[in-house]
Amino acid sequence: MTAQKPENFDAFWNYVDEDLSGIPLAPEIEPIPIRSNANADLYGVRITSVGPYRLFGYLSIPKGEGQFPAIFYTPKNGSVHEVIPQGTATAMRKRYVTFSIAARGMRNSDKPYAAMFPGQLTDGLESLDTYVYRGIVADTLRGLDYLVTRPEVDLSRIVAWGNDNALLVAARRSSITHVVSTPAYLLDTIEHALKTSSYPLAEFSDYLRLYPERKDDVVATLEMYNLRWHAESIKAETLIKADHATGIYNPGVLEVLESGIAGNVTVHESERSSSRDGLNGEKWLTANLIGADAELIIPEHWENHPQ
Amino acid sequence: MTIDKNYRCKVRTPDDFDEFWGGVMSDVAAIPMNTTIEKDDLRSNEEVDVYQVFYDSLDNLRVSGWYAVPKGATGKLPAMIQFPGYLSDPMIPREWAAKGYACFSVNPRGKVRSRTQFDPGYPGLLTFGIVDKNSYSYRGFYVDAWRSVDFLLERPEVDASRIGGVGGSQGGGLAITAAAMRKEIRAVSISAPYLCGHMDAIELSHTYPYDEINDYLETYPERRKDVEETVAYFDGISFADKVTCPVIVNIGLQDNVVPPETGYAVYNAMSSKDKMFYEYDGHGHEAGKYIHGAIIDEFFETHLKGGE
Repeated sequence: MTAQKPENFDAFWNYVDEDLSGIPLAPEIEPIPIRSNANADLYGVRITSVGPYRLFGYLSIPKGEGQFPAIFYTPKNGSVHEVIPQGTATAMRKRYVTFSIAARGMRNSDKPYAAMFPGQLTDGLESLDTYVYRGIVADTLRGLDYLVTRPEVDLSRIVAWGNDNALLVAARRSSITHVVSTPAYLLDTIEHALKTSSYPLAEFSDYLRLYPERKDDVVATLEMYNLRWHAESIKAETLIKADHATGIYNPGVLEVLESGIAGNVTVHESERSSSRDGLNGEKWLTANLIGADAELIIPEHWENHPQ
Repeated sequence: MTIDKNYRCKVRTPDDFDEFWGGVMSDVAAIPMNTTIEKDDLRSNEEVDVYQVFYDSLDNLRVSGWYAVPKGATGKLPAMIQFPGYLSDPMIPREWAAKGYACFSVNPRGKVRSRTQFDPGYPGLLTFGIVDKNSYSYRGFYVDAWRSVDFLLERPEVDASRIGGVGGSQGGGLAITAAAMRKEIRAVSISAPYLCGHMDAIELSHTYPYDEINDYLETYPERRKDVEETVAYFDGISFADKVTCPVIVNIGLQDNVVPPETGYAVYNAMSSKDKMFYEYDGHGHEAGKYIHGAIIDEFFETHLKGGE
C-alpha cells in the first residue's frame, strides 16, 4: 500500500458539509397508502441536496406511540430504490423507523440525472471536481439530516445499513450510532479493481483500460473516498460483512478497517449463503439495537435454518 | 417450518391460455425487430467484445440488451440468453462469453436502459395493470425477454441449434416461460424461480417483492378474483408442461424471497424427460450458487457444446 491520505482531505469534506448547510432541506411528505399496513405507515419524502438537487426517500414509521430505533438504508450501487431491502421481513417495519434515500441518478431521484448501471461509479471520474460521487455522499448525508429531524426516531439508536456509503455517513455524522456495512468498492479501489472483471469494481478497471493516461488523476480522486482514511472517524458500533476468504474484500483485506475504525467492530466472513449471512446480520442488529434476549424478526423460511 | 416437497400450488392453467398467448405472439410477430447493435469499447476487454443492442417489441417498445462474444472466435458459437432478476440491473454477460458462448443479456421493459417508454418502478412492476391479462405489465415484459431468441437468430456467428437459457429468481421464472414458448431454446438452467405460484407465495412468506401483491390486495380486496385470474396466465407453473428441453433447477431451502415450496411445484409440473433438481439446505435466495455454478457449467457443456 503506497496510497497517501490527501492533504486536502479534511478541507474537501468540510466543504461538502458547508455546501449542505447552506441548502434548506425543504421536505415535502406524502402518505403512500398502498405500502402502509397494520404495522407501519409509509411516506414519500422529497428533500434537497447539493446542486441543488431534489431527492426522494421512503420513510416508514411504526404504528403506535413512542420513539423507535431507526434503520437508515444508505444508497446502494444500482438503479432500483427499495422501501426495505428485498427479502427483509416486512414485519421489521413495526419495530423500526426505516428511511431509504435514493441518491441522485437512482430511480425516484433520476430527474434530471439518470445514472447508468454500470456507469455511475465512473461518471466524471477524471477529476475531483467532476466526479459524481461527491454528490452521492452529500445525498446520503442529507438523508440522515432529514431522518434525525423526525420526532419518532430514538436518536440513541440509528443504524446505517448498506455498502460503502454506510461507513461514509458514519464517518461524517456522529448521529449514526451503529453500522452494518458490506464494503464493495471504496477501499483501495484501484488496487482491487485491477484484480477482477466482476462489477461493481470492474467499472473502474473498464475505465482505466479505455483511458490509461488518466490513472494518476483517478487514483487521486478516489483517495478522497477511500474508506481507509475515513475509518478513524467512525465511532459507531460496527458490523462489517466481509466477503468469503476467496473474495476481494475478505477479512484479511478488511483488517485495515477492523483496526482503523474507532468504535467496536465485528467482522463476519461470508458463509456463501445469503440466509446464513442475513441471519447473522439480523441477530447482530437485534442484539445491539433492541436487546440480547429480544425476539428476532426474520423471514419465515429462516426459522428452519440448520445449525 | 417444514418444507413440503410435494407442495401443489393453487394455480390452474386457464382454458384459453394457449389462445391468449397465441394472440400475443401474433401481435409481436407483426412488429419488425429493427435491431441496432453497437460495439461498446468501454465494456469490451481482452477476452470479450461487448455490444449494446436495441430492438422493437410488443407495443412498439424499444428494448435493450447487452451482447457479449468471445474475441476472435471463428465458426458458429453456442449461444446463451441470460434472463434478469427483478431488482438487479441486467448484467453484462462477459463471463459466459469468456466460456465460449455468444451471450445476450436482455433488459425487458422497465429495466435500466429500457424504461423510456414504460417505467412502473420498484415496487410497482409486479402489480402494474394486474386486474386484467391484457393490461398486466408482464404481458410485454415476457415477450421482450422471449424476443431475445429472435435477436440471436439474426446473428451470423450463432449456431441456432445450440441456444440455452439461464437465470435466477425472476430470471429463473423468465427462463421457464421462454423455454416453454421458444423451442429454439435447447437447454435451460433455472435458479430459485420467481413468478411461480404467485398466490401461494404471498401466503408462504412476507417479504418484497411478492409482498407487492399483498399490499395491492389489502388496498383493493375487491379485486382479488381479478388478480388471481390474471396471474394464472403468467404463472410459471402454467407454462411448465410446455418445457420439454433438458432442464436443471436449484433452490435454497431457506429462501426468503421465493418460497422453496413453489420451486418444487414448478419443477414437478415440467414435462421434460431430462430434468434434475438440486436443493441446498442452509442456503437462501442465492440457492447455493457457489456450489451449483460448476453444475450449471457442466450442464451446458453437455447440452450445448457436446460436439466440441
